[in-house]
Parts: sequence; C-alpha cells; structure tokens
Amino acid sequence: MTNTQSVPIGVFFMLAWRNLWRHKRRTIITLSSIAIGFGLTVFSIGMQDSGHNNMVKNAINMGDGHITIQHSEYLASPANHRFLEEGKSLLQQVEAQSIKAQVVPRITLQTLASTANNSVGVAVQGINIKSDPLRDIIEDKIQDGRWLQQGDERGLIIGSGMARKLKTKVGGKVVIMAGKKGGDSEAQLGRVRGIFHSGMLELDNYFIVAGLDFTRRFLIAEGGKVENQPLTRVAIFLDDEKQLVNIKQQLNKAINQPNTVVLDWQQMLPQLVQYIVIDDVSAYVMQIFILLVIVFGIVNTVLMGVLERTREFGLLRALGFQKNYLVLLVFLESLLLSGMAVFFGWLVGGSIHLYVAAYGIDFSGLIPEGTTFAGTFMDPIIYSELSPARVYQLTSIVFLTTLASGIYPAIKASRVTPIEALRT
Amino acid sequence: MSLLKLEHIDKIYQQGQIQVHALSDINLEVDESEFAALVGPSGSGKTTLLNIIGGLDTASTGHIHINSSNIAELNEQELSKFRLFELGFIFQAYNLVPVLSALENVELVMVLQGRPHKERSQRAKHYLEIVGLQDMMHRRPSELSGGQQQRVAVARALAAGPRLVLADEPTANLDSENASALLDIMFKLALEEKTTFLFSTHDPRVMERAKRIITLSDGKIINDENVNNE
Repeated sequence: MTNTQSVPIGVFFMLAWRNLWRHKRRTIITLSSIAIGFGLTVFSIGMQDSGHNNMVKNAINMGDGHITIQHSEYLASPANHRFLEEGKSLLQQVEAQSIKAQVVPRITLQTLASTANNSVGVAVQGINIKSDPLRDIIEDKIQDGRWLQQGDERGLIIGSGMARKLKTKVGGKVVIMAGKKGGDSEAQLGRVRGIFHSGMLELDNYFIVAGLDFTRRFLIAEGGKVENQPLTRVAIFLDDEKQLVNIKQQLNKAINQPNTVVLDWQQMLPQLVQYIVIDDVSAYVMQIFILLVIVFGIVNTVLMGVLERTREFGLLRALGFQKNYLVLLVFLESLLLSGMAVFFGWLVGGSIHLYVAAYGIDFSGLIPEGTTFAGTFMDPIIYSELSPARVYQLTSIVFLTTLASGIYPAIKASRVTPIEALRT
Repeated sequence: MSLLKLEHIDKIYQQGQIQVHALSDINLEVDESEFAALVGPSGSGKTTLLNIIGGLDTASTGHIHINSSNIAELNEQELSKFRLFELGFIFQAYNLVPVLSALENVELVMVLQGRPHKERSQRAKHYLEIVGLQDMMHRRPSELSGGQQQRVAVARALAAGPRLVLADEPTANLDSENASALLDIMFKLALEEKTTFLFSTHDPRVMERAKRIITLSDGKIINDENVNNE
C-alpha cells in the first residue's frame, strides 16, 4: 500500500466553494441576512461610539481637560477652601515638563449670586480670559454684551437663564458671595459684561465666567497668598489624547506639592464613564442578539448542507476520504461563508458608516434643547466614527462567530460512517 | 493465486433482543483477474458481504485477507487508505459527487492518492474515452443520464488502479441497453486491466457475463461454480 498521500488544500477549497453554491438561493439569503445584521451592527456601533466620543469631547472641553491637577480632597468634597496654595510654582512645574498640551489655570467657586431682585446658587469659573479654551465655547454664544477684557477686574459673563432669574442685564451689578471655612463669608461685587445662551440648562442657569484675578480674591480670603497665585486646579488639554496615560504618569512623578492629585477625565467624570459603560453593555446585549441570528443563519446553511449530503459523505468515505478530510471540507465551507459574510457585511455597514461619517444624522428633532447627560451634552448632528480597533474587533467577532458556527456541522459530518450513509 | 480470501465470516446484527445472522460461516477465495458475481435473492447477504470485503462494515467473526492484508486488523484510518489504494467501488446509484465534472469525479480518487496532476489528468481522460464519454468529460452528473453516470463511476473505479473492484448491483437502475453497454465496458476492462471484479447482482444480464457465480441464501454460500460464459 502506498503511503504518499498529500491532498492539495486547493482541492478542498474548490469542493467547499462549489458546495456552498449548490443551493445558490439559500447561500444568498444567509449571506444577505448576515450582511444586513452585521451592517446594522457596524452602523449602530459607529453612531454609539461617535455619540460617546462627542460627549466625552464636550465634557473635556466644557470641564477641566484631559488631565486635572487639584487638591486631593476636592473631588470627594468640593469646597472653595480646598485649593492649591502654590499655584504659581505648580504651573511652572507643569510647564517644565514640555508636554504637548494647553495648560490652563482655573479657580472654581461654589457661591451665591445676588442682585437686588433675587439670589441664585451658582458655580463661578475663574479663567485666563485670553487663553482658556472655555472662551472659544462661551464667547460665540454671547447674545448680549461682550467678552471680558484685560484689566477688567470685576467683569462677569452669565447665562441667559441666570440673567432672567436675577433680573439683571449687561452692566448690572451682581454680588458674588461665598462661605468661608471658618464660617464667615466673602463677598465681591461684579458687573455683567455679557450674557450667553448655550442651550444647556446647567450652563445657562447656574454658570458664571470671571477672570482669575476676580475669583482669586475668594482664595485669598481663605488664607491664600497673592504672591503664590493660588488656584483651584490646573486643567490640561492634550494635543494627542492617546498620550493621556503616559503624560499622567509623567506628571505624577514630576509634581511635588502637598495635598495635590493628578486626575484624568475618567476620574473627574465618573458619572459619564458609568453612563458610557451602561450604554456599551446595552449595545453589547443587542449585538449578542444579532450575532445569534448570524450563528443560526450559518448553522442552518452549513448543517442543512451536511445533512442532505450524508450519502455523499458516505460515498467519499468509501472512496478513501478520511474523517479529518470531511471535517476540513465542512470547516472550509464555514470559513468561506464567514469570509463572504464579513466582506458583504463591511460592504453594507461600511457604506452606511462612510455616508454617515461624511454627512451625519441630525438628531436635533429627537433631543430637546438643553438636554444634558451625565454633566455633558451631545451635538445635534452625529457623524459615525469607527476606530481601527473597533474595525478589528467587529471583524474578528463576526468572523470567529461564524467560523465557530461551522464546528457542529463539521463534527456531524465527521461522524458519518460510510455504511450508514450509503444505506440512506 | 487468490487475491481475496474470506475465512469463517459471520455477521450478526442485534435487533433489540433478537440476533440476526446476516452472514454465516462464509469461506471464499477469489483469484486475481476473476469476474465473479454474488447472486441471490434480496436479503441473502450480498451487499453485506461486499461491504465487509470493502471495509465499509466489519465482520462479527472471521478473517478477510485481500492481497495478503488482513483488513480485520486495520484501524479506521488504515482502512480508508486501504480502500483508497486497493479497492474500487461502483454503487447502485448516486455514485458521483454532484459538484464535480465527470473528469473531476474520475480524478478525485487519484487526487486523494496524491498522484501528480498530469498523470491523473491523462489517466482520467483515457478511462473516460474507454467508457465513451470523452465528449462529456466537463459535464456535471446532473447533465448526464443514469447510464452515463455509471460509466463515469466505472472509469473512476478503474482509473485509480485498484486490485479489486466491488460493484453493488451496478445495473439495477439502468435500462437494458445501458446495462448491456456498461457490462461490455466492465468486461473489456477486466480483461485488459487484469482487475478482479466482484459483483452483487440479481440481474440475469450480469450473470450471463460472469465467469463465476457465487450464490448466497440466508447469509450462506449455497453454490459456487465457474461458468463458461462467452
């Protein structure tokens, strides 16, 4: 008996390919259902990722950057007296790291804003009025008045909702009063220079922008020294957010001040992170259902193909096909079906993604003005976003799932005994 | 010299509490180049015996020697290999792989044997020519008649160069004309190739051509005679 058996793999591929197209309609229906299911998954993930990225981007821009350096107890218990005593030297230490980022000093105060007509609890954000990124967001939205000017030590920019509540207008006086650690209070008089309307209730009703000099008066009142330029925090807006972990580590090593902590945006915005996690989980559940549909589609097609070829498999076994050849053959059928499913899935999903990435979908009719989620908001027009990692992940999941769907039919095929099969 | 030697072959099926003796104490020798027919009524054990000889089924007891190999001692993988290199099969119907052309069907066993492309292509074309299908070699089974499909099966069985061809009622589904043509081809090839043929049949046309007729009844050989068919 000769022992030289080396069957070219191409023969198995050829057989598998032709077997797949033995029932064209069935294969096309299976492929279509997988492609549509996969396409919808790609689309929904693209939109979801984009929505999340958009919310994170807005939260970072509106909030305190990718990385925040602040008092170690501020996050757990925000209070005006939990500030960074050595603001000036801290800024110097950060700038000495030469990181590619915008480094922004900020003073945040929890205060009461009062006019002769009314009082409202507000958050006052003290910023560098020339260079803080917040200027880019708020200045465009000023409906009445103008942005703050250098040397204006009393200027305030307030939201439209607050102006309504305080019954004030541009040029009006507003007293900002903050409780001190010792039980006293500190009050400063400000003047409204501009009134903005962002459409976000949290900003429009409860947010005031002022210069650093104005807000620093409250920290001085808490015991800070003018020459040390105390701050509530240093906000760092990275040029490349992928460097977040590295830069955070670098800053952690470099910053040497008491009661100071370096936090990333996930630590600063835990509610947003939780929201994204929950949203992701619900999306994963949805994707599992879609994958199940795909699995059943593949199993149906390949298993039907196996069951109706029982006699043929018996014939092949009788002719000298070994068990593992049949496993290989059926597995290759699943592999080809999986490959085509992924290809056509990407054709459908990728096309939708590219269209929505270019033109976006306007959700303004669905999201009422002023709606915020977990302290941030979503732009009304969402453009689909898929990272290379997502493309790899989706392709792998669908490919491996469809491939795994072929295991049972392949095992079933390998169990065919020629004698039983030829009797059928 | 005997190519096939069966010694005390029994085949017992268990059907619930009942034991069915499909074959009882079969002793048989078939020489090289013989053209022998296993005959007998339905249920006499013809197909069971062919399946055991072909290694598709196992005997309950006894020894089967083909070309000095005791196939009862071979494992599943060795049996596959044995069938591939030593045996040719022609079944009653549905013999061919539907997604392969006639030429590819004939080549298939040679592909599994690992023969080079050129050799198998030449041999496949040669045998298709012998069976008169040289003009239909690229047709798929669905485009061939039943008789043509059986001729492809004969070409496939012989192209792989087996020592023994086992044919289980190969003419059962064919009309008289096709059956006669197929038998002519097989008889001619048996002579030319010096291949041993063992048929199971109750087709009188086959019996008329056979040189030896082994009659089975109730799983036993009741008659074994050489006949002088010309």
